[in-house]
Amino acid sequence: MVITPVHYIVVPLIAAFAIPLLSKLHKELFRIVPGIVMFYNIIISFVLMKEVNEVGYISEIIAGWEAPWGINLMITPFSGFLASLISVLGFLIWLYQYRFKKVIDVDEIKSYGILQMMMITGAIGIIITGDIFNLFVFMEIVAITAVSLTSFYRGRDGAEAGFKYLLIGGFASALILLAILILYTQVGTLNMAEIAEKMHTVPIGIKSTILILFIVGFGIEAEMFPLNGWAPDAYSQAPGPTSAAFAGIVVKAGIYGLIRVIYTLFDIEGAFDFLIIAGLVTMIIAEFSAVKQKNLKRMLAYSSIGQMGLVLIAFGIGTKTAVFAALFLMFNHAIIKSLLFMTGSILMYNSKDKTISSIHGIAKNLPFVSIMFAIGAFAIVGLPPFSGFWSKLYVLTAAADKEMIMLIIAILGVSIVEIVYYFRVVSKLYFATDKEHLDIFKPSNNSLIAMGILTITIIVIGLYPDLITGYLHNAADILLDRSSYIDFVLKANVPIQ
Amino acid sequence: MNIFFLIILIFFSGAILSFIINKIAPKFSGITTFLTIAVVSFLFFTQVEINSITQFSLGGIQMQFGVNNYTYIFAILVLGLSLLASLYSIKYMQDKGRLGYFYSNFILTVTGMMGIIFSRDFISFFIFWEIMTWSSYLIVIYDGARSSKSGLKYMIFSAIGAYAMLTAIVSIKGSYGTFIISEAIENGAFNFTDHIYIPIMLLIGFAVKAALMPLHVWAPNAYSKSPMSFTAIFSGAMSKMGILGMGLVLASVYSHSTDENAFNVLILRQILGWLGGITAVMATIYALIQTDAKKLLAYSSVAQLGYIIVGLSTGTKLGVMAALFLAIIHAVFKGALFMVAGAVERQVGTTDMTKISGLIRKMPYTFFTALVSIIALAGLPPLGGFVGKWMLYEALITESNNYFLVIVIFFSSTAAFLYSYRFLFGLFLGQEEKEIEHVKEAPVTMLIPMVILALFLIVTGVYPGILFEPIAQGMHYLGYSDVNWDMSILVNVWGEESNMFYINLTIGVVFVVIFLFLTFKGLKGTRYVGTKDISSSGEIPTENENLTFQLDFFKPFQRAAAPLYKRSMNKIWNDLGNALEAIFDFTRRIYTGNGQTYALFVIIFLVILLIFKNTLFTN
Repeated sequence: MVITPVHYIVVPLIAAFAIPLLSKLHKELFRIVPGIVMFYNIIISFVLMKEVNEVGYISEIIAGWEAPWGINLMITPFSGFLASLISVLGFLIWLYQYRFKKVIDVDEIKSYGILQMMMITGAIGIIITGDIFNLFVFMEIVAITAVSLTSFYRGRDGAEAGFKYLLIGGFASALILLAILILYTQVGTLNMAEIAEKMHTVPIGIKSTILILFIVGFGIEAEMFPLNGWAPDAYSQAPGPTSAAFAGIVVKAGIYGLIRVIYTLFDIEGAFDFLIIAGLVTMIIAEFSAVKQKNLKRMLAYSSIGQMGLVLIAFGIGTKTAVFAALFLMFNHAIIKSLLFMTGSILMYNSKDKTISSIHGIAKNLPFVSIMFAIGAFAIVGLPPFSGFWSKLYVLTAAADKEMIMLIIAILGVSIVEIVYYFRVVSKLYFATDKEHLDIFKPSNNSLIAMGILTITIIVIGLYPDLITGYLHNAADILLDRSSYIDFVLKANVPIQ
Repeated sequence: MNIFFLIILIFFSGAILSFIINKIAPKFSGITTFLTIAVVSFLFFTQVEINSITQFSLGGIQMQFGVNNYTYIFAILVLGLSLLASLYSIKYMQDKGRLGYFYSNFILTVTGMMGIIFSRDFISFFIFWEIMTWSSYLIVIYDGARSSKSGLKYMIFSAIGAYAMLTAIVSIKGSYGTFIISEAIENGAFNFTDHIYIPIMLLIGFAVKAALMPLHVWAPNAYSKSPMSFTAIFSGAMSKMGILGMGLVLASVYSHSTDENAFNVLILRQILGWLGGITAVMATIYALIQTDAKKLLAYSSVAQLGYIIVGLSTGTKLGVMAALFLAIIHAVFKGALFMVAGAVERQVGTTDMTKISGLIRKMPYTFFTALVSIIALAGLPPLGGFVGKWMLYEALITESNNYFLVIVIFFSSTAAFLYSYRFLFGLFLGQEEKEIEHVKEAPVTMLIPMVILALFLIVTGVYPGILFEPIAQGMHYLGYSDVNWDMSILVNVWGEESNMFYINLTIGVVFVVIFLFLTFKGLKGTRYVGTKDISSSGEIPTENENLTFQLDFFKPFQRAAAPLYKRSMNKIWNDLGNALEAIFDFTRRIYTGNGQTYALFVIIFLVILLIFKNTLFTN
């Protein structure tokens, strides 16, 4: 069997329908099958990335209708990189949550595994599709699954957070759909490459309106200020593995949508400056808000928003170094923030009132989890020799190339704020000894393995970033090369190196 | 394998090893640390060639390792001091917990410092700088909840410094296209005409580590709250990393100064000089009122670094030489003094000078070290501190004509006598109290490093040339030509020579004569007495009566200087911190938690964007 991009979508879909049936055979299967699917995703990613490195682009045409009439799936070094990242993270998150709770209501976990899997499938779909309407459909899949996962714990808080997410997410869907509609009336196509080609015929007034609708719609998923009100609640109320998936996967899909629209579809002045400003405001407000949080997961959520602000800034600078830095940031944020959410959830699990102060001195009881949390904290604030340092350095270098000194100072100033709240927590974890911790919830071995893999990745990439910079450079090149994307999809099916 | 990579690798494996060994046999954790540093020192002094360069690239950035004459001075200092400190540490840390944590961070700190010394490019410099910072932060908070606040303060200030530095580094890359330090200097990054902020940002970064006013507030607490075996290198060696950087930046700025930027450079020189001077005075004044020996030494450290910065700021041959000489001497005597404080802490249980006294008989070797180091600190002949201060005064008077600064420095160095005396008297002199009867001398592995440092001070006092030779070569690297030095002769501008050897000989002869005189005079009726065997005003003190005057030491001075104590820099920073916290609290409230508000935000944002769409986006 030849592996093609469509497997990303089809295999999980079949599995989603099969799981309820399979679980009749053996009740353990509903936990295992999503894992197998996730693992298969990794295999797909490996095969496709290898192929992409040789030929440049892979385009799969669905049902024999060629672009621009039919639906096509695109794997470029850029989308392939993100899809691989999401696949690997998805598997690790599955590994982490597998038997997270030993005894659990069977019905619940059944839906949980399927929802998680579909959310990841939706995110991959957003990234690999070449068709704007399909992108909307996948966005909806992500939104629906994410909302139901947010309110997975059927408490009052979970329901409230889920409702907020649903409300704001509804805006996102409506605005994106509206944007697609207006776009279709103007260019008469839904294929992204063809839209990009015909974009210059659209009058500027309509063009900017469409862009604004897209920005607000995707901005909600990408946690741009002031559209990110749903995020802290959703992150803190969702189950631990889901928070990790939100930070590692869902946001990445939102950012991808925003970037694809701005970089490929539109050719418009001012969009990049807008990204810088929006990113800066998002980053500053989120990081400031994080300082005073009492709930650890909420703090991590604000920090995650802040990091996304930094990613937007990097994409807004728009040079090749900057895009490279932005991709590196996304990679780092995916692994580091997932690790922080994974470890943080276990730490929080031991706290009754879910506050930071109730887990003081817990490091004695949970040494491995605490050290991994500490490494994650060191990495996310950008201390060398951890991977977070390199991405921050490249962002700053990109800003310095354009002589944006004030931007550099703002980014670094916010980093100091980050240090304050992360180090506060880390030092309290280790050195505050005023509490006795009884009845400790210990993570299972597979959770430890999942977290360990992430920790090792952070350290290895930190010591030797060259392992990944090659892929990132390719991805950055492709994203900036708008015309070859159009050419490849529409004109010749000859791979472009 | 390349020697530089090998050294870094040994360090990293040593850090991991000492952590693992602690789990198996806690005793050997310290010994592993000592051996790691010993092996590296051996490799460094036998294998590393000065001026050899190793090129490599990491993350697409060209990097270089190498050692030059200037950094070689600091390499000797770092390796020597950390070797002794790690030997000292074995017994000092013996009964404490979390040894693996302590020792692996200890090694990482030394790794950071050596990495800084090796780096010939800004990125590896910064990486090692940060490794040094966070590993030392982890040691500062070693003591737990008690020190976590000081630790956070240290980390915040370090981050301010490090990020100021990083801003400068990426700006150099942006404007001059290189990360290599020597290329950046050649390309004019430090010419102080068009990117003035680059050297200034770098100086701010280094000034934090060198504890320069007003960025010094982290230092007293961080120094006094970390374990003393670490403070010896924290204050002794790590602060010198700031001096290393400042020396490099200032030398480059001064050597590139032309007529058009002469005024800027003059301002920079004056500001730095005065900041150094004020640091010296204020820290000295604060050192005076400390009752804890560790705190006293910590403030004194800050004051001494002030002198060094004054020396560097002059930029003259003699001034820089004095600064580098003082830097080494300070590392040695402050390392020794912190070890003394640690020995007292370990043997007595406290370093509070109001509680202990009369340790001289119980801990004679420790006293010897303390005495020698204090003489060096106070800048009295015949020890090294005198030579350094002499040169500093001379540089200020003859070469840069900065008479007011001389007065300030002179005041501070005179006031330093007071706290020096207090340290010596408070711990070692005075009457023996009952509480210290059980006290014994520190273990021999703690004494050896202390005594070695003391002997080194004596030798360099007599033959300062031992240090002048490497310093002169280092200054040659910085661009100072014809740096003259002699093994034991100081020459002033009027051509008068003061030969330290004769000075010392005279002092020695006088000392021996007086010693003999006293011995012979007292030989007849010698009667050995206890400290309570006195009668004052006809009254015979009882056993429990306290005759020493550790309490309210320097009260009159304190009263006279009272206005100075009122406004502390610490308070200003705390107010700033509180204001920021208020801002953070305010921004937190933007997220109301109400879904309707969030929906309103979305709509308002959309409407605003649509209104301003023509100004935001154009074709």
